[in-house]
Amino acid sequence: MKTSAKITWCPGCGNFGIMRAFEKAVKMIGNARVVVSSGIGCHGKIADYLKVPSFHVIHGRVPPFLTGFKLANPEMISVGFVGDGDAMNEGIEHLIHAARRNTDISIFLHNNGVFGLTTGQVTATSPKGQKGRSTPYGNPENPIEPCSLMLMSGATFVARAFAGDIQKLAQIMYDAMKHRGFSFVEILQPCVSFNNFWGIRDEIKWVERADSVQTALKLCSDKKVCGVFYQKEDETFEEAIYRIYRR
Amino acid sequence: MFDFNVCIAGAAGDGVKEAGEVLAKLFSRMGYNVFVYQEYESLIRGGHNASVVRISDRKVHAHRFYYDAMICLEDYVLKNHIERLKGFLIHDAKFECEYSNSFPVPLSEFVKEENLSFLYRNAAALGSFCHLSGVELKFLNEVFQSEYGEKSGVDVELAKIAFDYAERNFDRLMEIPAKKSQDGNVFSGSEAIALGMVDAGLEYYFAYPMTPASPVLHFLAKKKLAYAIQPESEIAAIMMAIGSAYAGKRSATGTSGGGFALMSESISLAAMAEIPLLIILAQRSAPSTGMATFTAQEDLYFSLSPAHGEFPVIVASPLTLKDSYILAGTLLNLAWKFQTPTILLTEKHMTESYENEDLDGVEVEEVDIFSSVTDDVFPRYEITESGISRFAVPPAIVKCNSNEHDEFGITTDDAKMATEMYAKRMRKEEEILKEVKKLEPYWLIKNGQDTIVTWGSNFGAVLEAAEELGYSVLGIRFLRPLILPKLGGNVICVECNYRGLLAGLIERETGIDVARVLRWDGRPFTPEEVKEELARR
Ligand SMILES: Cc1ncc(C[n+]2csc(CCOP(=O)(O)OP(=O)(O)O)c2C)c(N)n1
Ligand code: SF4
Repeated sequence: MKTSAKITWCPGCGNFGIMRAFEKAVKMIGNARVVVSSGIGCHGKIADYLKVPSFHVIHGRVPPFLTGFKLANPEMISVGFVGDGDAMNEGIEHLIHAARRNTDISIFLHNNGVFGLTTGQVTATSPKGQKGRSTPYGNPENPIEPCSLMLMSGATFVARAFAGDIQKLAQIMYDAMKHRGFSFVEILQPCVSFNNFWGIRDEIKWVERADSVQTALKLCSDKKVCGVFYQKEDETFEEAIYRIYRR
Repeated sequence: MFDFNVCIAGAAGDGVKEAGEVLAKLFSRMGYNVFVYQEYESLIRGGHNASVVRISDRKVHAHRFYYDAMICLEDYVLKNHIERLKGFLIHDAKFECEYSNSFPVPLSEFVKEENLSFLYRNAAALGSFCHLSGVELKFLNEVFQSEYGEKSGVDVELAKIAFDYAERNFDRLMEIPAKKSQDGNVFSGSEAIALGMVDAGLEYYFAYPMTPASPVLHFLAKKKLAYAIQPESEIAAIMMAIGSAYAGKRSATGTSGGGFALMSESISLAAMAEIPLLIILAQRSAPSTGMATFTAQEDLYFSLSPAHGEFPVIVASPLTLKDSYILAGTLLNLAWKFQTPTILLTEKHMTESYENEDLDGVEVEEVDIFSSVTDDVFPRYEITESGISRFAVPPAIVKCNSNEHDEFGITTDDAKMATEMYAKRMRKEEEILKEVKKLEPYWLIKNGQDTIVTWGSNFGAVLEAAEELGYSVLGIRFLRPLILPKLGGNVICVECNYRGLLAGLIERETGIDVARVLRWDGRPFTPEEVKEELARR
């Protein structure tokens, strides 16, 4: 499933695991037609490496791009790889709107808690106090919790996984792509160069999905808890549009 | 020659705009040509609204400055117009008025008696107008019926009450005969743009509301002529359009200056990824929020250089309502032919004016699209002599990229590849130039030695003034690439901005001096105003 592009991620980067898990998940689906879009940052390079139709777009704009694509080609499974800087800082509004629309796309957030490609500044998911190149004396801001935000925005599939557990990540990616509606997977992705948290591997706890948003919110509040937190069926954006425009 | 200019004025919420449209449709049905100028403020109730309806034997693309008749629904708006009034005045009898040639009609009382909202005074006012101007009431009823369908009964009834009242109390002032019976097709510029895009194969339109571009979205949504979708922002709108174009569907977006500024980064993306996309830019008064509902031509340079980086882009601006239809369709076709963004630059005075027209002539120009599934990555950006590569869409393995890329769409910083790929994209400019030369890049109407140059909706007013005074007229349609004829004599440019943006462009291109007739008060030129300006020289 690889192109001839030379991979330029740092050796040991969590992105390798994410890519391997994705390849596994696509194989699990079988002869599915998958299209991929990625944002700007180290994570965004994944589009170059995968031998699938892809569009590497600009900072933060993966969700509207995929929304337009999915409306025009509902046959294809549409997957967006986004970064925490890319989707939680610039372009955060698009993610919230995609969630509330329940557009049938899957968003995989590479959450490494830093801007990787611009060399280690803090992002909206970095904890208060974290030091980065633009915050040498500590991050003055409180972090956003992506899974809670997505649950509150009406996402119909919300999960968290770890880039180091390829088997479990692949299963969650598969479930997300199979889900009819907006699915969001936060992937804890260690960045060996600027935020190395490979050490959390042994502390990760896996949980079963909750049957209410309230319980799901509680589950995901612990950053070391992974699993599918919540899933429900609802009319998708595309279905609503086709229903209205049935001509 | 019959040439009659009526102004309907009142507050927002009085149905002034609708009354103007109805009157235009009425006269269009009677076989006349019409032009309607809509002036309104950015508020929902109150304020000053006016609809100026011009009726003529010949084709006109402008309203006139002076009114032959006026319908006034509120006393306080009269002062804005009284100096322009040279004919008769119909006003609501609820207020008194000193104007000598005036006809008070108890419009408010009529609607009160019928227990209706004040909104219906417009129907009554049109009824009394029909008597005074000698128009058969049946034409008005026909328009009400075709516009409002089952709900038209109330309008028909009120029009009759006011017609009868006028007949009992006033003599008929004139006789406007029906010349021939026709469909009365009257369109706004926005509708013409929408229909042009649809006839050129538009399937998806994404737009965030912004005056004066919103009516394109409203019209497409109401008529379901294309998927018309309102996302969270202009950025989302253009990105969605890029998404659906990547999927192989003809897509467009539309906005005004502020929204266009937000789209800028994505226009650059579309250019880099060679995504075909039409962007409607309907100008209004600026900078910033400016005067939201008033016209301007301030974004010329912005549209010519709409985003960071160098890339081919085609910019055209329609001169008339029919031209709005033609150019919207043409630009959508050109976007697909050259796989690059195209911009329809127009302005509030065009999108919200009305004319009677037959809109036809635009067709889909098909392009080949590869969509088969193969094992290999499609060479989407194959280096070609023309700069145009084959187009492919998923499920074919087609990779698009905002980064500089190789022929397969894979990111590269390689100096040789970057040089070739950049040049490949830029070579399209030569092909575009050849194509635009064949597409009437300008209209040149010869009347005399000296030439008035203009663009956009000024064209109508300029044409009339120039014909009367013996000037040639050069109306520029394509602004990028800009192709100019040889210009002799004095050259005067008429436009709605402060510096004379087109004039500056022509000076740079040709080295000749261009005189300027400019305004930036948000109001469009009328033929009288252009004539006065020229006479003063
Ligand atoms: C509009 C815009 N602003 C800023 C940048 C510069 N930029 C490139 S990558 C990046 C950060 C990406 O961070 P993240 O999304 O966390 O991705 P990572 O590199 O960590 O995978 C930024 C700000 C850009 N390319 N475009
Ligand atoms: S900087 Fe961090 S995120 Fe980027 S490739 Fe290196 S390890 Fe991975």
